[in-house]
Amino acid sequence: MSSRLFRRISGGLALVSLALCLAAPVAYFLRRISEGSYRKAFLLASIAWFVLATARALTPDDGPPPG
Amino acid sequence: MAERVARLTAAMDRLYEFDREPVALDKLQSGGKFAGLFAGEHVAATEFVIGAFFVLHGVGARDLLLGLLLGNLLAVLSWTFICAPIAVRTRLTLYWYLRKIAGPGVTLIYNVANAFLYCILAGAMISVSATAVGLVAGIRVPGLGAVWPTSLGWVLVTAALGAAFTAMAVLGFSKLSRFAEVASPWIFVVFIAGAVAMLPRLGVSPGLENLWAVARVKVWNGVAAAGQEKFGLAHVLFFAWFCNLAMHVGLSDMALFRYAKKWTYGLYSAFGMYPGHMLAWIASGIMVAAVGREMHPGLMAFEAAGIAGVAGVLLAGWTTANPTLYRAGLALQTITPNWPRWKITLIAGGATTVLACFPVFFLKLLDYVAIYGLVLMPIGAIVFAEHWIFPLLKIEQYQAEKRGWTFNGAALGVWLGTLGICAILPIHLYFRWLPGWVLALVAYTGLMAWKGER
Repeated sequence: MSSRLFRRISGGLALVSLALCLAAPVAYFLRRISEGSYRKAFLLASIAWFVLATARALTPDDGPPPG
Repeated sequence: MAERVARLTAAMDRLYEFDREPVALDKLQSGGKFAGLFAGEHVAATEFVIGAFFVLHGVGARDLLLGLLLGNLLAVLSWTFICAPIAVRTRLTLYWYLRKIAGPGVTLIYNVANAFLYCILAGAMISVSATAVGLVAGIRVPGLGAVWPTSLGWVLVTAALGAAFTAMAVLGFSKLSRFAEVASPWIFVVFIAGAVAMLPRLGVSPGLENLWAVARVKVWNGVAAAGQEKFGLAHVLFFAWFCNLAMHVGLSDMALFRYAKKWTYGLYSAFGMYPGHMLAWIASGIMVAAVGREMHPGLMAFEAAGIAGVAGVLLAGWTTANPTLYRAGLALQTITPNWPRWKITLIAGGATTVLACFPVFFLKLLDYVAIYGLVLMPIGAIVFAEHWIFPLLKIEQYQAEKRGWTFNGAALGVWLGTLGICAILPIHLYFRWLPGWVLALVAYTGLMAWKGER
């Protein structure tokens, strides 16, 4: 997998995890999940964000594909 | 003395040599970069304290919203109409432009004052992070009126955090700044998630029908906490405006905007102001109301988002204290010629750590922010006068540079005189900078015109 593709995938997944960080408290506010579930979901989504966003940041961008 | 000043200014010039020349046109940055930079820079640990303090100062809900909307708009306009145009026309940092106007001696004093103020700010950020660690370690956070350290545990936690932050700043800024870029969007999410999660505790129904009523009665209810001054619309408006006074009216963000293609890029500061200085402040207000109005950022974040919230406070403190320590070190390096960067960062970090042990700096953060902006504001007025007003009145510009003055006496006198007058103005601290800015502008223009006639 080229580093450019890896950056795209990890960046996209990082954004999804950040969206989950926001969705968890909204679901708790709407009484769809318990407080414990919200905290657990928020923590896991946060860890995912840091792993994926750091991976994206550390991967060098090898520029646009030739052609 | 003159020789010592000359030696120091020569060392200072070497330090800033890399940005001595105006920015080349091919180095200009896109608007998106400015939006990202502002968005990342203005969600700091201090946001946990500032928004919460508005609640404790008894701000009403309508005053808060209106004050933040207008105050942040004025801040954005200050960047757009005061800071960015001068930066785009000169393509210089404030350091080099001030040197032409006020001479290297005044620039040296400015740098040292800036370094000291940075250390206090970084200290406040460490204190905020200490509330998170203190919560885990079971250490009581100092009460609202505390000035001195209240327990050995508090001193140990702040000292340990200060040492850790300093060590990381010494070990390498560039890698850490990349981590800060990763952390900053998440820190903003911690604020928003925390506030949303606290709404049920405050009694907001899932349909949001009673949101405004809860905001008015349970959060921004207009009742100040014991010992806290009552704030109104004007306080909030002015605070939001002057919160970054040193950067916009004080012109230190010339360093940033010299890379802008157009002066209108100042408008991109809205990407920092409205999420960071509006939404994050509102969020921390909700969180403090939900924990019984206790000024305890660690507790607020823990109750709102669990252990991730505690990590959020810790990270917010670290990622913002780190560049602040770096800037303090850079500014201080001007008076310690030949010292390596690590050594001066260590000294700045040590001083910051000592300051962080004193809870007064984070518990009086709002007043400190006002003083910080006030102290550096007259320099912005002096530069503004020299840049825009002098050509209109046919007063000779850049006399310090042309005549080789180490100190432009008029600039130094106006700076100190303005601060002296601001100190005794019979109005609230938050409102003093505005008449002070006008006074500095008029006094400097008048003095230099008079000097020219002689």
